[in-house]
Amino acid sequence: MKNVDMQMHVRGTSLFVDDIPTPAGCLHAVLFTSPVAHGTIRSVDISRAVDAPGVVAVYTHRDVPGLNEVGHMLKDQPLLAVDEVKYIGQPIALVVADSRRAAQRAATLITADIEQREAIFDPRTAAARGLIFGQQRILTSGDTAAAFARCAVIATGKLASGPQEHFYFETQRALALPGEHDTIKVVASAQSPGTFHRHIAEVLGIPQHKVEFEIRRLGGGFGGKESTAVWVTAPAMAAFLLKKPVKLVLSRNEDIATSGKRHAYEYDYKLGLDADGAILAYEIDLYQHAGACADISLAVLGRSFLHTCGSYRIPNIRVTAVSCRTNIPPNNAFRGFGVPQGTFAIEAALTHAAELLGQEAAAVKRKNLLRNGDTLPYGMQLKKTNAIRCWDELDQKLDFAARHAAVAEYNRTHTDTRRGLAVIPVCFGISFAQTALNQASSLVNIYVDGSVSVSTGAVEMGQGVNTKIQLVAATTLGVSPEKVRVDTTNTLRIPNASPTSASTGADLNGMATKFACETLAARLQEFAAQQLKHGTPADIAIRRDAVYCQGKRTELDWEKLVAAAQWARVDLGAHAFYATPGVYHDVATERGRPFAYYAYGTSLTEVLLDCVRGTYAFTAVDIIQDVGQSLSEIIDRGQVEGAVVQGMGWCTIEQLRYASDHRVLTGANAYKIPDIKFVPPHLSVTLLANSDNPFAVCNSKAVGEPPFVHGLGAYFALWHALRSVRRDRPVPSLPLTPEKVFMYLHG
Amino acid sequence: MLNFVINQQPVATDKPAGMILLEFIRDVTCLSGTKEACREGECGACTVLVGTPQPDGSLAYRACASCLLPIGEVDGCHVVTVEGMSRGKDLTLIQQLIVDHSASQCGFCTSGIVLSLAGFCLTSPDFSYQDAINALDGNLCRCTGYAAIRNAARALCDRLAALNRTPAARVATLAAAGVLPDYFTGIPARLAQLPAVPTTPFTGSATLVAGGTDLFVQKPEQLLDRDLCFLSRRRDLDYLRIDGSVLRVGGAVTLETFRLSAEVRQHFPALTTDLLLHSSTILRNKATLAGNIVNASPIGDMSIILLALDAQLVITSRDGSSRKTPLAKFYQGYKKFDLACGELISEIVIPRLGCDTRYNFEKVANRVHLDIAAVNSALRLTLAPDGSITDLRISAGGVAATPLLIPGLAQFHDKPPDPPAIARAVADAVTPIDDIRGSATYKKLLLRQLVLAHFAAPAAEEAAQ
Repeated sequence: MKNVDMQMHVRGTSLFVDDIPTPAGCLHAVLFTSPVAHGTIRSVDISRAVDAPGVVAVYTHRDVPGLNEVGHMLKDQPLLAVDEVKYIGQPIALVVADSRRAAQRAATLITADIEQREAIFDPRTAAARGLIFGQQRILTSGDTAAAFARCAVIATGKLASGPQEHFYFETQRALALPGEHDTIKVVASAQSPGTFHRHIAEVLGIPQHKVEFEIRRLGGGFGGKESTAVWVTAPAMAAFLLKKPVKLVLSRNEDIATSGKRHAYEYDYKLGLDADGAILAYEIDLYQHAGACADISLAVLGRSFLHTCGSYRIPNIRVTAVSCRTNIPPNNAFRGFGVPQGTFAIEAALTHAAELLGQEAAAVKRKNLLRNGDTLPYGMQLKKTNAIRCWDELDQKLDFAARHAAVAEYNRTHTDTRRGLAVIPVCFGISFAQTALNQASSLVNIYVDGSVSVSTGAVEMGQGVNTKIQLVAATTLGVSPEKVRVDTTNTLRIPNASPTSASTGADLNGMATKFACETLAARLQEFAAQQLKHGTPADIAIRRDAVYCQGKRTELDWEKLVAAAQWARVDLGAHAFYATPGVYHDVATERGRPFAYYAYGTSLTEVLLDCVRGTYAFTAVDIIQDVGQSLSEIIDRGQVEGAVVQGMGWCTIEQLRYASDHRVLTGANAYKIPDIKFVPPHLSVTLLANSDNPFAVCNSKAVGEPPFVHGLGAYFALWHALRSVRRDRPVPSLPLTPEKVFMYLHG
Repeated sequence: MLNFVINQQPVATDKPAGMILLEFIRDVTCLSGTKEACREGECGACTVLVGTPQPDGSLAYRACASCLLPIGEVDGCHVVTVEGMSRGKDLTLIQQLIVDHSASQCGFCTSGIVLSLAGFCLTSPDFSYQDAINALDGNLCRCTGYAAIRNAARALCDRLAALNRTPAARVATLAAAGVLPDYFTGIPARLAQLPAVPTTPFTGSATLVAGGTDLFVQKPEQLLDRDLCFLSRRRDLDYLRIDGSVLRVGGAVTLETFRLSAEVRQHFPALTTDLLLHSSTILRNKATLAGNIVNASPIGDMSIILLALDAQLVITSRDGSSRKTPLAKFYQGYKKFDLACGELISEIVIPRLGCDTRYNFEKVANRVHLDIAAVNSALRLTLAPDGSITDLRISAGGVAATPLLIPGLAQFHDKPPDPPAIARAVADAVTPIDDIRGSATYKKLLLRQLVLAHFAAPAAEEAAQ
């Protein structure tokens, strides 16, 4: 089944936040933000802005009615700065006017007298000075020192991976509508109904039951709308104080300049192989570039930390990880949530080590893939891994050895162009690493006409979660999907919902919906048995809108059954709750079972390098992805295709550039995401056959993030091509922009 | 008062001519299907079709970025938004194929993709797949990875393959095939009843608008209340013609009209592909050659090409007098050029290439398409029968304050080409700076490589032939 929203998208009738007809008198809010990266605020002069045409109010931290705090994990992020600014783009004042243009003009009239202080933009410097969030995390398993002594080769080096701008098409935005009794409704483009709901109540100083927070759909999220509550709480505060509707919509360049990114990382690695290429020991230090506030960085770091093995068995390992506090906008979640960064390091270290050993990287990787019975460094034993299956099935399809031979031959006979290949295996743990978030609830109501409404905490952002939930509900109830409507995500119906992230939206909310529908189906079966005067409810089945008894169709259909049940006072509503069983992680010992299961995949990426110009084009990407029993193949394929291309962008052309004061210089006209011609002419996705998964709804597996990691194939295919030209210098860090490729070749 | 038709709805408005069409569509007509996602023409989410009446009574439809289009530009025109692409309850073919192929995820870019594909259907001579992909070169999507969009485009081409390709019958053909809603066929008659569109006078206070695709990125606020003089209404400047040894291009000709013209295809065939590296279809449909020249970006692709081709500019002043200047002498400093207040570029004169002349264009940008170059360069090389150089022109962008014609290349005349020596001389002649497009060192080295590529590329072409 396809994403039901597409019918509206192609007509232009889908309502995003800024498309909702606004009530008369709706005001517009614009933030005045810090022009310096670190400083002490001496004074803020808003007087000229207050007097500007169209301005209704200008607020500073003194006006916040409740708690001036929107920090996601730590209480370190005021909504409006008090006496210190920690990054360029940090909100200082909120201007509300009768038009967005008037608010923008007025915001330029605000002046802030700020005494500049030293700003730090380098994570290693921050770490050296002890400027970190939380504690350093250390994970050890086995004895690396002893194992290194037995290695035939040891690869050591420093690495870096860059930030990535989300570039969701719909920028951050919210519409706040005041109601009676000091209530407020906020409609937003946001991924975290539960936490944002709480933040709004806290900022306004009212109980959560006076705040209704609603999300219809997002014009893209990718993690960027999960943790930063500024753009949701700011218009809510203005609407609450003014008792007028207020809308806040960031422009693209405001969004790029002030929002968090995918975390850049720096790494020190040391990887040892024996003479056969088996990994004996790995030491990796992660320096996460977190930014000025903790935001969600520690959770991202935790995932990187637990994914430093990639898809490989590593008997002796030592991982250290720190989240470094610097003076850039707080970085946040982005598809993959630290896993691509953690995987990048092991892929680079292993590719480097394979070079030292004189073997093809793919051969060394295959030798070290995770197998059933292997135990990961944090103590979780793998019962049923598909790492080798994915690899071997793609190998059978493509013949890796033949492809490598063809590329070697091409490179032997060409100088102006070269080709490169990379095989990337993916192993991605599914569940929130923070155990408490692994919960969801669902409210299913059957109306007397037989139509069904489902509400969950899941947020639709194009990934098709609502369609999957609709399918789960329809299948479980035995009705056609058209009878089921998945409604908005709304805190009045579903409280305290976890964010839609970690690829768990369908897993958690689908399972809760399945439970609720099972409850309703059981009630209706029992009622149908009574109606049919049949003693055994278990003999009753509802399928495709009809009622069957012992496999025979009865005179009852869904509509008749529902109407009769309601008249007979059967409860046609059900709420259900799901908490992923058996997941836990003890941070003190760094041991646990943090993930319910793993999603696997393998990809082969091929690139054509233009050695004269330092440019490149990807010619083919083939992916096999383990999605369990797919809930919707066409949706899952779309997720894989979209994720890998986004990952390829991160690895190659997506580059943020900063001025010397660390203002972002790459606005919409310079930050380049993949376009239609960037995508390889051959992009093939195979969903792994005969994969089941008892740990998620209907035997499916999560698909949103894991395939992002295949994007690393772009970096390593280029690596392969570049090394065919020269090996007298290290391959530049990620992203491998054309400039870096050129300088490697000609610099 | 401006009069136009949005979808099927007549519009008469006294809003300022400088108001951005995207804002008008969303805030005045309350059609929210057209999205704002960058406001710089970089993403295509706001793409609409603009149908401009032609002398023969038909409409020429072009997909344009509505975020950079002032409503004065659509006076007397048909504007089509995504809401105007449905047939009542039914979907038109492009919409249906996007659904069939799941070529939409979050949906925020989808309406722009529908309209760009509609533009393809209306303009492609032969409904080729490559044309369809080119039509989407300005439409970014952050969700799908484009594979499904390509599948939908391919299916569209398959469905169009059997259709009549006659341009004159195009709208009727597409309406009959369910690609466009039926009401399209009645639009020309409706537009004919609108008041005649006045030529905007080029008075002292008026701001001249060529394509506006950079102007409305830079200063939309200031332009809101200004008198605007739209060059797109100057039919007298909208021409291309071969005149003996030169190609004459009117000052209002758009890049896409130029790129696809019979004259360019015949006499400068390489430009039809080179100009695909220039911005995107939805911008080339508005941007003009003359606008690109007076924009004076040191990295402007068209300026770089025209410099190497030794283009001459005909500059006309308000009083009707005109003068001629070589483009090579036009630029005087960063964004400074030889054009007085009250003057405009009325014609660009491009010498045709002799059979002994090679032309080549090189551009390297972070992203190959829809990006500003780190360095671009063009070559025009004329060889004597004995293989020695009789004329050598190399231009380079991104390496100086202006688009640069490399000086001092006469030293290489009368000798066979020595690409390494020429490349060194060119690189030595430039002084790039560090900026967001790349470091100075990179640009200098890159230019050297691009000059080598100039000499290698035509040779490779010949070998292929």
